Amino acid sequence: MIRRHALTLAAALLAGTFAIGPAAAQDKPVLAFVTNAAADFWTIGRAGVMQAGEELDGYTTEMHIVSEATAAEQRRIIDDLLTRGVAGITVSVIDPANSRDLLNRAASQAVLFTSDSDAADTDRLLYVGTDNVAAGEQAGELIKQSLPDGGKVMLFVGTMGAANAQERVQGIKNVLEGGNIEIIDIRTDEVDFARAKRNVEDTLTTYPDIDGLVGLWSYNTPQIVEAVKAAGKDGQVKIIGFDEDPVTLRGIADGIVDATVVQQPYEFGYQSMMLMAKVLDGDKSFIPEDGLMIIPTKVIDQSNVDEFRQEMQKLLAQ
Amino acid sequence: MQKKDLGLLVLILVVGAITTALNPVFLSPVNLGNMANLVGLFGIFSIGIGVVIITGGIDLSVGSMFALIGVVFIDLMTNQGMAWQLVLPVAIGLGVAFGIIHGVLVTRFNMQPFVVTLCGLLIYRGAARYYMADATIGFGYAGGFDTLEWLASGRSFGVPHTFIAFVVVAIVMGIVLHRSVFGRYLFAVGKNEEAARYSGIPTSLVIASAYVISGALAGLAAVFLAFYTYSIQPSAHGNFYELYGIAAAVLGGCSLRGGEGSILGIALGTVLLQVLQNLVNLLGIPTSLNFAVMGTVILLGVLTDQQLQRRRARLLAVKAHQAKTASVQPARA
Amino acid sequence: MNHGVNAGATDDVNGERGGPGAAPFLGLVRIGKTYPGVTALADVGLEVARGEVVGLIGENGAGKSTLMKVLGGVVAPDSGHIEIDGMVHQALTVPQSLAAGIAFVHQELNLFENLDVAANIFIGREPRWGGPLRLIDRQVLYERTRPLLQRLKVDFDARTPVAALSIAQRQMVEIAKALSLDARLIIMDEPTSSLTVSETERLLDVIAELKAQGVAVIYITHRLNEVKDCADRVVCLRDGVVAGALTHDEIAHAAMIRLMIGRDLKALYTPPGCQPATGLEVQGLRTILFPDRAVDLEIRRGEILGLAGLIGSGRTELARALFGIDPPLAGTIRLDGAPITPATPRQAIARGIYLVPEDRKRSGLVLEFPVRVNVTLADLKSHAKAWLISGSREAETAERQKARLNIRTPSVDTEVVTLSGGNQQKVVLAKWLAMRPSVVVFDEPTRGIDVGAKSEIYAILRQLADAGVAILMISSDMEEVIGVSDRIAVMHEGRISGILDNRDSFTETNVLELAVNSPARTAA
Repeated sequence: MIRRHALTLAAALLAGTFAIGPAAAQDKPVLAFVTNAAADFWTIGRAGVMQAGEELDGYTTEMHIVSEATAAEQRRIIDDLLTRGVAGITVSVIDPANSRDLLNRAASQAVLFTSDSDAADTDRLLYVGTDNVAAGEQAGELIKQSLPDGGKVMLFVGTMGAANAQERVQGIKNVLEGGNIEIIDIRTDEVDFARAKRNVEDTLTTYPDIDGLVGLWSYNTPQIVEAVKAAGKDGQVKIIGFDEDPVTLRGIADGIVDATVVQQPYEFGYQSMMLMAKVLDGDKSFIPEDGLMIIPTKVIDQSNVDEFRQEMQKLLAQ
Repeated sequence: MQKKDLGLLVLILVVGAITTALNPVFLSPVNLGNMANLVGLFGIFSIGIGVVIITGGIDLSVGSMFALIGVVFIDLMTNQGMAWQLVLPVAIGLGVAFGIIHGVLVTRFNMQPFVVTLCGLLIYRGAARYYMADATIGFGYAGGFDTLEWLASGRSFGVPHTFIAFVVVAIVMGIVLHRSVFGRYLFAVGKNEEAARYSGIPTSLVIASAYVISGALAGLAAVFLAFYTYSIQPSAHGNFYELYGIAAAVLGGCSLRGGEGSILGIALGTVLLQVLQNLVNLLGIPTSLNFAVMGTVILLGVLTDQQLQRRRARLLAVKAHQAKTASVQPARA
Repeated sequence: MNHGVNAGATDDVNGERGGPGAAPFLGLVRIGKTYPGVTALADVGLEVARGEVVGLIGENGAGKSTLMKVLGGVVAPDSGHIEIDGMVHQALTVPQSLAAGIAFVHQELNLFENLDVAANIFIGREPRWGGPLRLIDRQVLYERTRPLLQRLKVDFDARTPVAALSIAQRQMVEIAKALSLDARLIIMDEPTSSLTVSETERLLDVIAELKAQGVAVIYITHRLNEVKDCADRVVCLRDGVVAGALTHDEIAHAAMIRLMIGRDLKALYTPPGCQPATGLEVQGLRTILFPDRAVDLEIRRGEILGLAGLIGSGRTELARALFGIDPPLAGTIRLDGAPITPATPRQAIARGIYLVPEDRKRSGLVLEFPVRVNVTLADLKSHAKAWLISGSREAETAERQKARLNIRTPSVDTEVVTLSGGNQQKVVLAKWLAMRPSVVVFDEPTRGIDVGAKSEIYAILRQLADAGVAILMISSDMEEVIGVSDRIAVMHEGRISGILDNRDSFTETNVLELAVNSPARTAA
């Protein structure tokens, strides 16, 4: 994972950030996956993409991790891919509302899937990923379990501009609505870790009697864990998270975090590549009416965390 | 204390008083501790940037330095198992090395500081991301550096060590800048490089040193910051932090034309910026407005300061005029 | 003299010699202007008639620039008034001055190098089309520019970028701009200071043509021969008053000098108090400006060596080489017999070689710093203990120098920018005098300084020399060179064209001869 030798550097410069060199890429049709951020989440997703690449004889698969989580950066990558004439693209869309033209153009030139973050009103063939509203509802149920007597919770996320953030919040609200649990506010940090942590710190000082903290994006929960530990409030404040950051998982093992809702990025990568290949081979019959291929989310709590961690280590080691 | 710094202090007190009135938690020990921690984190590198600004330059690269030095630092500690007594000098040494490169490019090759450090910003960011292949790196389960962890993120008597480090750096740099020969050279070079050179000041060396100081302080801050976030996402870690430093320096009375500024001012500027961010959270202002609040206060602060200064300059000119006429009149008579 | 289309007019004016016959359209009456500490103008009168060329002469600081600023509407006089076409104004504004047809061709040319000739001439007044879009009508722009250039018979086109033009050509652009404004009076401030001989002749031709076309010219110069060639009348200012005027027939070199100086140059002189000894010897020194010319010069301790020569003759380059700013291409420098090679000002200063630079605001002082800080800037280490500056030592030095040089400042903590030019220059001197000078190079030591402060500075120069310091005084001020120097070296195009050893031979003619009419001139 870490490259620091000159040789690796030279090799990687040749290959770009792709796993398979350009020579192979010229020969076979290319299936590409474009992420919406640079995070461990996609390191796991990459494993799925690469696995699919190995299994598919007729195709080359590529993983494109955006250097900055902006719509402009993503657009540039997609434009480049289209110029290169790739056969299929799966995109985790950063800004669905404003990327319609681009995505429709992509759909007219290649097989277009979305994954992780959808753009439903475009010509994309299929969405492979989480139903984030359902995932939010799952988290909502977890909050209810953790706070049977009700209480006040704060939500933390990078930016509310992203569809998955909105949907997760919606799901949580669906479940908590009318109950005795109040959502005070949603704090955003523009993916600045230090700010994410200070948001938690400031929340703990402003609302000393807060009952629950919910991290919506993968790095939010670790920052919650660190801040709560520093404030000496571990155990007092219930923490529910999303995704599978190592600190989150350790928090579950240590009993600081109650549970986390994990997606299956490996499946995102793997399934989207395999299914795009299927479409290119002429088979569209598997595509459901609503165009959604939902990969279910899983709840990780103290009962299954060890097993899940081993699984993760196996995937990341690949 | 200069008038400028006093004005800034008053502004901080006013903002603090308003915040306290609206939410008394502002003055709670926990909140003050948290804020002191962040003031320390941001203050250390802001002083470095301020020193560069005083020479008439700019350093845009520190945010990216945090990412690169941070990932190298964590990697050496956790994956390579190097002793922290070795890794700490390496981290600061990296900052010094980058500072030397900037200094040499600016003075020897006559490149514009904005361009040099902008390229630094891009290169270090890219290098950090490449080093980690875009993955996030954290301290994870690794151990054996509890002392360093305590030094970097612990507290003594309730005071965060970052803040103590910041105060030490501020005092040392305050003496260097305002009392030492080198400090005088820095101001002279920033105000009028040619006159400084004609007075026998080794201007290139002085200017390059400013970048080295900035790099060294950025290296130190990178370590503190790594222990604050505990994990580093190379593509986002420290993004825009150089702008916090520049903003603190400008608020603190540094002129981007060089030759003006004080360490106390930069420190107060940092405090104000952190108070503002804290206030956004404490008062429940939508977090999306965070930058807008900060920008507005900086704008108003600098605008007021300049208006006051212009008035002062006009008064001074009138007084000087009177003094001159008075001193010359008898000679003519 | 020329074969312009308007031959009749040319004859007419040549016959009449312009001015004296015509009634003046512009008059300055009893103009007075005082700045803090300096009387710039007192009771000055000047009239200009249509098609008249007035030569305005006088030493630096005599008040010429201030007078012209009054005409340009930049400076309002304290007393007196201005008459234009019979209308009386207490003071002019810039638009009024423009409307009266007064235009300037400045010493520093105010052109945009990145634009072409036509764009420069019509800057701010571009012909437009496209209504609210305010597009530039390029066709009209060039159509209007061409006749202006034809009037001046220039050898470049309206579309030529100014960056591609020589200084002389740029001057023509400025004149064309003045003509485009329907100027009746063009004020030329030292127009030939950077021109070659043939370019100067061409400019004088143009002035004659302007005159023929009825345009009046005020010609400010130090080059008296040019005045003789082109002026109908000469007015001389001295210390802010009109020292005298000469009609066309009276214009002669000696008469002008007498008016300008008004006293015996040599009266300034105080003889050296000690016997000159070996100091700085320069052999075969070559600088970037004249790589094929070598300078040999000796500056003795205890004497003031005046260095005269035209601007661009290599004097400043010599000073910069001695001070280590631009190290010389070749040659040796010896101080007290030992060879030295100052590669930076720092090294030169370590040897006791100091420079009082020509542009003190840019190179000599940090204007926004207080007097105290400027005085100790070059020698901070002597004012510091273990690298920390001792405020009391600093203040002590500053106070001592303030008293010694009679620096008029409210306090040593006053910012230098608020002081007068003379006192600023004394602060520069104070910086060096607080140290141990062996050689001090003064580049235009009294430029822009009033008469009172000048004599104080001359006295300081003499004191320094008597203390055994070797002094090189670069100056364009003839009075200064002749009045203060013990010996005079004259530079011409990169080499020493002559040295005057005997004070009896110190005459303006001798110095000018060496500066201009040296045998090397044919090489130009």
